Amino acid sequence: MSAAVGARRQLPPWLRNNAGLAGVLALIGAVSVAGAVASDRFLSFNNFLNVFEQTTDLALVSIGQTLTILSGGIDLSVGSLISLTSCLTSGLINNNPDRVMGVVIAVLALGILVGFINAGLVVALRVHPLIVTLGMGAALQGVTLLYTLGPVGRVPRGFNFLAYGRVDGLPFGAVIAVLLCVLIALLLRYLPLGRQIYALGDDASSARLVGLRRTRILMLVYGASGFCCAATGLYLVARFGVGQPYTGVNYTLASITPVVLGGTLLSGGKGGVIGTLLGAFLIALLNNLLNFMDVSKHYQLVAQAVIIILAVSVYVERRRTV
Amino acid sequence: MSERVTASTELGRAVARPWSLRAGFDRFGMILILPLLLGLGAILSPAFVSAGNLSNLLLQFAPLAIVAMGQALVMIVRGLDLSVASMMATAAVIATSFSGSDRDVTAIFAVALLIGVAIGLLNGLLVTKRQVSPFLATLATMILLQGFRFAYTQGAPSGNVPPMLRVLGAEKFHGVPYNALMLLLLAGALAIVLHRSAFGRRILIVGGNPVTARLFGIRSDLIMIACYVISSCLAVVAGLILSGYVGLVDNWVGQGYELDSIVACVVGQVSLQGGRGSILGALTGAAVIVIISNEVLLLGVPIQVQLIIKGTVIVVAAALYARRDITSGQ
Repeated sequence: MSAAVGARRQLPPWLRNNAGLAGVLALIGAVSVAGAVASDRFLSFNNFLNVFEQTTDLALVSIGQTLTILSGGIDLSVGSLISLTSCLTSGLINNNPDRVMGVVIAVLALGILVGFINAGLVVALRVHPLIVTLGMGAALQGVTLLYTLGPVGRVPRGFNFLAYGRVDGLPFGAVIAVLLCVLIALLLRYLPLGRQIYALGDDASSARLVGLRRTRILMLVYGASGFCCAATGLYLVARFGVGQPYTGVNYTLASITPVVLGGTLLSGGKGGVIGTLLGAFLIALLNNLLNFMDVSKHYQLVAQAVIIILAVSVYVERRRTV
Repeated sequence: MSERVTASTELGRAVARPWSLRAGFDRFGMILILPLLLGLGAILSPAFVSAGNLSNLLLQFAPLAIVAMGQALVMIVRGLDLSVASMMATAAVIATSFSGSDRDVTAIFAVALLIGVAIGLLNGLLVTKRQVSPFLATLATMILLQGFRFAYTQGAPSGNVPPMLRVLGAEKFHGVPYNALMLLLLAGALAIVLHRSAFGRRILIVGGNPVTARLFGIRSDLIMIACYVISSCLAVVAGLILSGYVGLVDNWVGQGYELDSIVACVVGQVSLQGGRGSILGALTGAAVIVIISNEVLLLGVPIQVQLIIKGTVIVVAAALYARRDITSGQ
């Protein structure tokens, strides 16, 4: 134990405070080097943009997930909420360009509302967020399937700009994700409410003793998570051209991986959204590398699991309960 | 302080009040929900209580119950096992990768259990030695197993489930499914281990109060690792039974069992905070889930509503227990 403390003291402060970020950057570097060895096209700007574009959906959900995890909770309703919002988007727009604006706003509002309900249940019932959002996820999946059992509706042709559009050569959706991420990072750092999220996640009982309003903080983080899910739902509709009732199912657990890779502690109170964005990028980069190396798609999951295990067992910083 | 320490361990409670009515109700009260649900089912649809339906109910009950018992052990030591469903599917794939005749059943069980032990060890070691949060460690092993399974089967498993497994998974002995008999055996053994053995007391103490556990000189790490290994092995058994029940195997046998088993435990009063729970509770929770699904089906309610009901049940159950904990001062 004392050896570990000693080793930590020798690290410069900026590295000690951003160990998670440094870790994910090192992994990105390692994957890039491996890619450069594997193929000369890997390190091209076009391939970079490609990977960047493929990061969008995972980055969007994970940003919201980061906030709930920072506050000491978790949101397991994201997958179902993505499915629901994407089905509603294409089902309600139904190829009518006039409805696009209204439906997009309504869907984003629905996402926030679901988040508020999650937070409200956590506070009112005093049940762990894991259980509340798990139940909410099951219920939302049921609602989605009541609405439609298969792909539903259509979106106007221009809608796919969100997924495939380029602004000055940069992918539009991915740029939005990055901007959202930077905005949230700034708010987390400079807004009192942002600091309070960390305080609550770090030590809930101290947070209560100093008079932080838990309800308000939880409404904010789960609302933000719901908003991100709705945005992901919109993005997926733009990509596939249609909403599908099971389109989000894999995102529930997948959204947690980038958060953890980015150095956010699953127990809350430490981390940030920039790390999450890099974590999502790392996963896309890894899949891209395996594609270049002609590795079967099936091994991508193995590689992903190995990276998770590596990452989480290297930067252990959980407080010992004993 | 000392009161809190003893109150949070099963050991302390048993010593303080051996067989008071209140303690008995606390421990076994939740089983009263079953006759209620069964009665409600009988009133709503007469077909529900027919002998055929009840024995089918038992048939579907066994796999979930077996997984839920393992999940309960892990939850008692403050963990969570998300890898069980992936483990079940892996066991099912193993069941079909031999020749499909009965002489391979022993080999199937041996290989599958070996992988189960390995995965359980990996989970346990990550959680105890590397202090990875259980959610994350088991999530990673879940993805790992899934990846290996996909790579091994190239997407679509083929091959046959041996007849003996099909008998175990789907056939009945005088109306009682074989898998229910197997469940009875496992549940009996686990109940004795958890509630009547020194090892079981240690499990409850490690989960209930790690500080006490350390002061008692209990090797918490070993206890926790053992719980993860048992959970994985039970998932293997459940996966093999389920493969026999379904008869054909794809990559997703057992999908949803990780969440269903957690729901079963929460409904069965296994505490998410650890330290409290029973085999009977896990069984009751699993029974509640199976009965509700069955009733919803018989009533002709759209299958989608089942999900909404399941979601509501889990939140309400957890809320009820949370409230009780607060009022009883724990």
